[in-house]
Amino acid sequence: MSQQVQLDEKKDIHVDKEVLLEVRNLKKYYPVHAGFFKRKVGDVKAVDDISLTLKKGETFGLVGESGCGKSTAGRTILRLTESTDGQVIFDGKDITNLSGSLLREKRQDFQMVFQDPYASLNPKMMVGHLVDEPIRNYTNKSHKQLKTEVEELLERVGLRAEDYFKYPHEFSGGQRQRIGIARALALNPKLIVADEPVSALDVSIQSQVLNLLKELQGEFDLTYLFIAHDLSVVKHMSDRIGVMYLGHMVEVGDKDAIYKEPLHPYTQALTSAIPEPDPLIKKERIILEGDVPSPQNPPTGCVFHTRCPVAMPKCKEIIPQLKEVRPNQQVACLLYDKE
Amino acid sequence: MDPVSRQLHEEPTPPNLDANRKPIKRGQSQWMIARRRLLHNVPAMISIVFLFIVTVLSLSASILTDIDPARINPMLIDAKPSAEHWLGADNAGRDIVTMLLYGGRTSLLIGFSCTAIIIFLGTLIGTVSGFYGGKVDSILMRFTDFMMNFPFLVFVIVVKTIFIDTGVLALILVIGFLGWTGAARVVRSKVMSEKENEYILSAISIGTKPSKVMLKHLLPNVMSTIIVQATLLLASMIVVETGLSFIGFGVPPDVPSWGNMLQTARNPGTLSEKWWIWIPPGLAITFTILSINFIGEGFKDAFNPKSSK
Repeated sequence: MSQQVQLDEKKDIHVDKEVLLEVRNLKKYYPVHAGFFKRKVGDVKAVDDISLTLKKGETFGLVGESGCGKSTAGRTILRLTESTDGQVIFDGKDITNLSGSLLREKRQDFQMVFQDPYASLNPKMMVGHLVDEPIRNYTNKSHKQLKTEVEELLERVGLRAEDYFKYPHEFSGGQRQRIGIARALALNPKLIVADEPVSALDVSIQSQVLNLLKELQGEFDLTYLFIAHDLSVVKHMSDRIGVMYLGHMVEVGDKDAIYKEPLHPYTQALTSAIPEPDPLIKKERIILEGDVPSPQNPPTGCVFHTRCPVAMPKCKEIIPQLKEVRPNQQVACLLYDKE
Repeated sequence: MDPVSRQLHEEPTPPNLDANRKPIKRGQSQWMIARRRLLHNVPAMISIVFLFIVTVLSLSASILTDIDPARINPMLIDAKPSAEHWLGADNAGRDIVTMLLYGGRTSLLIGFSCTAIIIFLGTLIGTVSGFYGGKVDSILMRFTDFMMNFPFLVFVIVVKTIFIDTGVLALILVIGFLGWTGAARVVRSKVMSEKENEYILSAISIGTKPSKVMLKHLLPNVMSTIIVQATLLLASMIVVETGLSFIGFGVPPDVPSWGNMLQTARNPGTLSEKWWIWIPPGLAITFTILSINFIGEGFKDAFNPKSSK
């Protein structure tokens, strides 16, 4: 544990300039009420003690199977849901306890691209108004100015300026996602949390939207927190990757390290599941037994021990902490615990 | 390399998704689509025209006839329909046609204004309660339950008995302030399901103020429910006016209203022999309510994306 703290402190020294977002021990518990008096009987631990750091201009991929808390983590970081505990430091400022208008002021700098392009656009609003809404929220620009800005944005994300007058239901999923991206870009944010931005789209459209996101990153100096469950998509997009399992971060590291030499047994199982197009290459596929345990009643010790192929008796007792095992690769697993 | 990333590398983003799309045309909002559907709904359109005519006739009553609706003419008591008095006169010698016109004015005024008050209060309380949830919701909903359990009829009768001279305005206020509970609950449940949509979260994330989120994002999307509620309410408010006036606790007797006109039918002699006194207001009420209900159904179909009309 002491080693962990030191590591964090060391990072803090060069926090100021390079780091855009730092998340410390973020927790999000949903209380469960039951019985006649609606007593609290427990918590669903959607996000349990995760920490991560995003440097300016990089893309951090967050992967994990459905229900592991990736989206909740993304939303909690952006203060769209309230955290139970932990700190979110954005651009040198703690935004965990900001409220009301102060928080709204800060929201300009971090935006979100949502998962479901069919649900994330107000069906009653014209595309032009959907895209100029963020600008109107923060500035008093004239109607004409707004319109030219929105038209530029629409064209930049691959739509047509004339689409200004259309309504969301007249677009396909990929086009709607472009509208969502234009909306997130409108305020020129520093950070964009992309919450499974392509998982609702066809594979052919996915690549277009992903490439658009990549182009925009260079052009607008964006930092991405890219949440996805598709490993090849994350591999394509990210510089660094964090692997989540049942609300915990089990491994963090550079993209190549994670894909070539995964350390955590869960990451190993995940990467072994990536399909290999070359039929001549035989891959050892690790198949995990059983189901993901309920986050309401997570296993003791290491949350993964119930499905881990190499579990040891002590895994049931000790909660492993993230430790730097190799340079730029941290893993939370007792296998790498030297004590 | 796996298939997805190979595709990613090879395919550049096309600048325009579809170059040979049809020439520019303004998009159709869901409102426009609903309006088009409504225009094709024959019963609803007939009803709208009917209700419009009834409203115009009532509003222009003073132009159409120069008879004072409250004037009691002993010469005309129970007069049968004639060329001069098309539908005759009632047991106080008041001209039925004139009474119908002026009565429509009162009944529709009560119907529309009660509906307006109820929808306003119901939408306000329902939206705030559904949007904020938690404690705000608990407090507002307990208050709604409290108001809902208020014995409405008894309360109206008591108020009317205490303030004997109260006119139409008092009746409107009492009905309005006691009747919003149902509307509030309907709006609240609709808001609760609607706010789960990601576009609400998205509006918050782009820095939209809560008040604006409710007004610009939630309200337009629950508006269809509210409009349908309003039409059904309008019909039932006219019935409430009629019912209260019929038992003598509604509109003061000297103010003509359809309900007051029906009051005379409580007399068995009138009911069996003098049809011209009670059938016209009865028909006016029936057709008005029927048309309002057709309009309500028409709205419901028009807003329903699954209906094929």
